[in-house]
Parts: sequence; structure tokens; C-alpha cells
Amino acid sequence: MSKAALALLLLATATPAFADEAADIVRDADRFRRPAESFVWKISITSQEAKKAPSVDGFEVFVKGGGRSLVKFVAPPRNVGRSLLALGRDLWIYLPDAGKPVRIPFSQRLVGQVANGDVARADYSGDYDAKLLGEETVDGVACHVIDLKARTKDVTYAAVKYWVSRDGRRPVRAEFYAATGTLLKTGTFEGFKEVVPGAVLATRLTLVDGIRKDRSSVLDYGSIVVRDIPEKYFDKNSMKSLD
Amino acid sequence: MRAVVALAVMVLALLVLAPLTGAADDPEGEGLPAALRVRGRVAEEFAYRLHDPGDVSKLKTLGWLEGKYTFSETANLRVGARGYYDAVFAATDRYPDNVRRNQERELELREAILSVSHGDFDVRLGRQQIVWGEAISTFVTDVVNPKDFREFVLPDFTELRIPIWALDAQWRLARNVTLEGVWTPDTMHNRLPKKGAEFRFQGPEFRFRNPVVRLPDDEDEFSVARSEGGARLSVLREGWDVSLIYYDQADKTPVLFQRQVPNPPRPYQIVLDPQHPRLHIVGATVAKSIEPVVIRAEVAVSVGKRYETTDPLDGDGVVRRDTVDYLIGVDFPLFWDVDAALQLSQKILMGDATNLIRPGVAGQVTTSLALRLSTGFFDNTLNPSLLAVIGLERADLRVSPRLEWVLSGSVAVAVGADIFEGARRTLYGQFDRNDRVTFTTTWRF
Repeated sequence: MSKAALALLLLATATPAFADEAADIVRDADRFRRPAESFVWKISITSQEAKKAPSVDGFEVFVKGGGRSLVKFVAPPRNVGRSLLALGRDLWIYLPDAGKPVRIPFSQRLVGQVANGDVARADYSGDYDAKLLGEETVDGVACHVIDLKARTKDVTYAAVKYWVSRDGRRPVRAEFYAATGTLLKTGTFEGFKEVVPGAVLATRLTLVDGIRKDRSSVLDYGSIVVRDIPEKYFDKNSMKSLD
Repeated sequence: MRAVVALAVMVLALLVLAPLTGAADDPEGEGLPAALRVRGRVAEEFAYRLHDPGDVSKLKTLGWLEGKYTFSETANLRVGARGYYDAVFAATDRYPDNVRRNQERELELREAILSVSHGDFDVRLGRQQIVWGEAISTFVTDVVNPKDFREFVLPDFTELRIPIWALDAQWRLARNVTLEGVWTPDTMHNRLPKKGAEFRFQGPEFRFRNPVVRLPDDEDEFSVARSEGGARLSVLREGWDVSLIYYDQADKTPVLFQRQVPNPPRPYQIVLDPQHPRLHIVGATVAKSIEPVVIRAEVAVSVGKRYETTDPLDGDGVVRRDTVDYLIGVDFPLFWDVDAALQLSQKILMGDATNLIRPGVAGQVTTSLALRLSTGFFDNTLNPSLLAVIGLERADLRVSPRLEWVLSGSVAVAVGADIFEGARRTLYGQFDRNDRVTFTTTWRF
């Protein structure tokens, strides 16, 4: 067998192993963004554009297994009463002015640099196929570099370049890309704390516009309550009564 | 009085049901909604009519106040009221007294809902809006609540819908499969503008030689015998959001039936009797997201729909034309930051449409195309939007540009315009002389 054929054989047998390892890493990293199957999380998003005064939006996020989440807008007053419901890869917004849930895409902008999917969905391992690209050091942290490709068109980003720490497999950094290959934004995961017993979570995600670097949004994950949430929270027909 | 009785029934039901629904699902109280929540808003709406006479056409101060009391995660009571005063009737003498009495001031209970859940069963009892349908800015399957058309279709749709006393029950049959049943004895009709109002609709052009008497439309609006109801089955599968609906109701818009009444020795009189024939509405909605595009469609078949006819040979001046209304829409992003929605809708009458004269009916087929564009600048503090709707058969159109400036988290101001073009007897053309510019301030708390 020639050396070239041997190399091809090795590559062919090694690729699935790399893919499996990459998928494991992404699954482990997801745990730093989701403490349990069912929980309630308060998030504030501070958006900054150039030298303008920052704006702050508040959300209460109800999450349940099966990729289900309800995001209630709790501040400022002009947004109170709105909510987002994500059921797997399907998303609705409830607007009090319309009086009914309306189907919208995940990629639509929520506030600042934050897309609906950034808040309503935190399941990279379920949404993307992972491939290990190599290793790099980010701010002194040795990281796996992983290429994430969207499994379907129904997710927020077509591709993500994802840096996960070798030690502990924590999410460190992400670059989010459109289908055209355009860099939409970069994200940095910080503030790892044990916010509930036994679960260390990233409590801050900073998103910076891919082109206009003076545009950014900081997602601060506040108090968290792990509890069972009734099914009606995840029924679009109940969005109005949960307002 | 009716509202007081209904509210008393609700409170009684609450006292009975609340302990049963209890706190079985409740954890220690963390992460639960606050027991009492109060919020509201105050708005000042100004409109200036651009055509002869150019004058103020709205100077309205509105207030909304709503409260929600959460007994437990399975039971809550929500009450909301809206009041307004329109100073245009004091500032000008353009409108007759009947319009002033009808539109100058109002205090209305907009919401009084007791919500109770038990497992997969939810019940909402009280005065409420029940909204069906997927599309925005149209009423194809949004059939349950009557509408307030005194300002045409220009206000927000939650303001256009007239709340009704109703029982709305939902049962989650399986994950993403919900059956909803609605029943109401509140058979209120659409509110139409009085003669002389800014947005008075053009009526049928009857040409009678005999004297005409129009009877009042004074059917009792609360009747168990004429109660309305229906059901909706909603299913979400593989990203396809589908619902099937059936609703049995009285036509919310009166149909003028004619009859001849002897009046010797004078010629017989023509009596126009407004009636609300029974409609059976069967429909379906569908929506699907294919990132970054959302498609949606709605269809409603109104069986028993009747229209006035100007055919002199028709005995009662009314013909039955079962009617199909449908729309197909697509939402898509333009240049990443502009949200666009394009919607094609048609009304198809099952039968000949000659002599049927209504502003919203162009013929056997009436087609309209709507485009909505919206975007936000400076972190969504400056939000321009545009809504354009055109009737394709008669080329009548409405264009409504708007620019909202969010001054703070609580205060926003908006300038806009509503421009109408078209022939006099078309849906938008009937308001060709009512073009206006608007200025609105809103404070939320």
C-alpha cells in the first residue's frame, strides 16, 4: 500500500472519531449555558452603540427540555408584555399591539447585536454538526477550535467557529457567520460561577458586531431558579394569558 | 349592569375554583410571577386632515390601565380598562351631534378574565379578545370578536377588536396539539361610524322612488338563544404550524333586507331592515419558518354570507353569496436590517357579483396586495415603517408611512400619515379626501 493510500485510509477512519470528539466537546460546553432540564433565568442585555448612552433590556427566560423556552420581556416599560416562544426550531413573538403570537425567524434581531436565537436557544450540540479544526490559545487559555455547521436552515446562524477550553471544556469564544460566509458577530463567554449547586455557568456573554466594532451587547445572566415549569408556558395559544 | 353581573359570576367562580387549582404545581414561590401587577399607558393622538377642509380631525387623549392578580401559577385574574376623550369635537364644529355623542368620549372595560389551569386544561372566562389567525393587519380568520371601525382600520388591531364576554377553553391533547373551544352569548356587532363621521363608509347606492324607512339595528346584544361559538384545532409538526377552525356566528355587519309596506292612500313604503344572518365559517391557517423567511397562509369560507343588491327585480334586496377569503404572505429580511412582509389576499364570491355594491367588494374576485417594511436605527430608537395596500382590480390604495422615535424606555413619539387614493366607491378610495398626518406621544408605566 502506498503512503498516500495509507494516509487516506487513516484520514477516513480518523474523521468520524474527530467528529465524535468535537460533538462531545460541544455537548459538554452547552452544559455551561444550561444548568438543568427545567429552569427560570433572568437576563439583562446592555446594548452599546458608538458613544451613545447604553440601553438596558430585561428578560425572564423559562426553559424546559426538548428545546422549549419562553422569553418574557420585563423591561423597559415599552417592551413589557411581549414574549418569545421557542419550540425546537420554531419561534413566535407575542406583541400586545397585535394580540396574538406571530411566527418569526430565529435570526431576526431582538435587541442590539442579539438575535432571537441567542436568548431563546442554547443548544449548539443539537443545532450544529461539529468538526474539530485544531487548537489555539485565547487570552492565555488553551482551547479546542471547532467548526459548527448548521444542520438545517432553521437555526440562527449558518456557521459558528467555536473556541472551547481544553481544561474543563468551557465555552470561551465564538464567531457567528451568515450563509454567505460574512462574519456577523463575535461572542465572548465569561463570568463562570456556580449559580446553582453543582452547576457552573457562564453568566456573561458579550456580542460584538462583526463589522462595526463599536456596536456591542452584553448579556448578563442573573438569578436562576431550577424548577418544573407547567406545559402551558410552552403552548403558543397560552402566550397572551402568560403576559 | 350586564358587566357587573358577569364580573360577579366570575368572582364567584374564582372563589370556588381557586382553592381547587391550588398550588399543587407550585414550588417554593421562587421564579413565580408577582401576585399583583399593574401597568398602563397614556397617549395623545393628533391628526390633521389634509383636504378641504384642512383641519384637525383628532385630538384624542387615551388612557389604559390594567391589573393582573396571580393567585397561583394556575389561576389569575386580569382586569383592564380604557378611557378616552377626543377634544376635536369641542375644537371644531365639523361633525354633527350624533357623531359627537358616539365618538367624543368613552370609558370601557376592555378585559376582565379569570384564567384557571388544571393539568393540560386551561379555561379563560370573562370579557376578552380571542384572536385566531397567523397574518398581520388582516381579519381573514380573526372572526371571533366584533370590530370597531369608527376610525376605519387605522388603529392597532387590539384597539379595533371589541372585547366580548366569553368562555374560552383549551385542552392540550398531546405535545403541540391543542383543541380550543369558544362559546359566547355576547353577540355584539361591529361598531360602524355614524353619518357625518370622518371615516363614514359609503353605503349601497339604492335608488328608490318610494319613501324609505330604515329600521334601527337594535337587536339585543346579549342572548343565549343567539349565542355564538366554535372550535380550533392547532397542530405543530415538523415546523408546520397548522390550525383548523369552525365558528358559528351572526354576521357582525348588518345586511339591509328590503320589504314593501302598504301605506294607503300614499304609495307603499320601502322598509330597510338591518339583520345579521347566521354564518358558518370554516377555515384553516398555516405558517412555516424557513430561515430567514416565514411563509403564512389563511383561508376562511363564510357559508351563508349575504350582500345587498341594487337589482330592482330582487324581492328582498339581498342575495346569498358564500364567500372565500384567503391570503398568502411571506416575511423576509431585506439588506439584513429591514423586515419586509408581502401579502396577497383575495375575496371570492360563489356566484355572480353584478349589482353587489360594497366598497370592499370589487366584483366576484377582489384582490389586494400589501407590503410592510420596517427597520430600526440607533439601536431601535428611531424606527421607520411603511404599510402600503393596493386593491388590484380598481387600483385604490392606502399608504401609511410612520416614524417612531423612542425617547426613553417609557416615552415614544411618532409622526405618520395615512394617504388614500382611488375611486369613490372603492375600499380605500371612499376616503380619498380624508388623507391625514398624525402625531402621537405615548407614555408607558
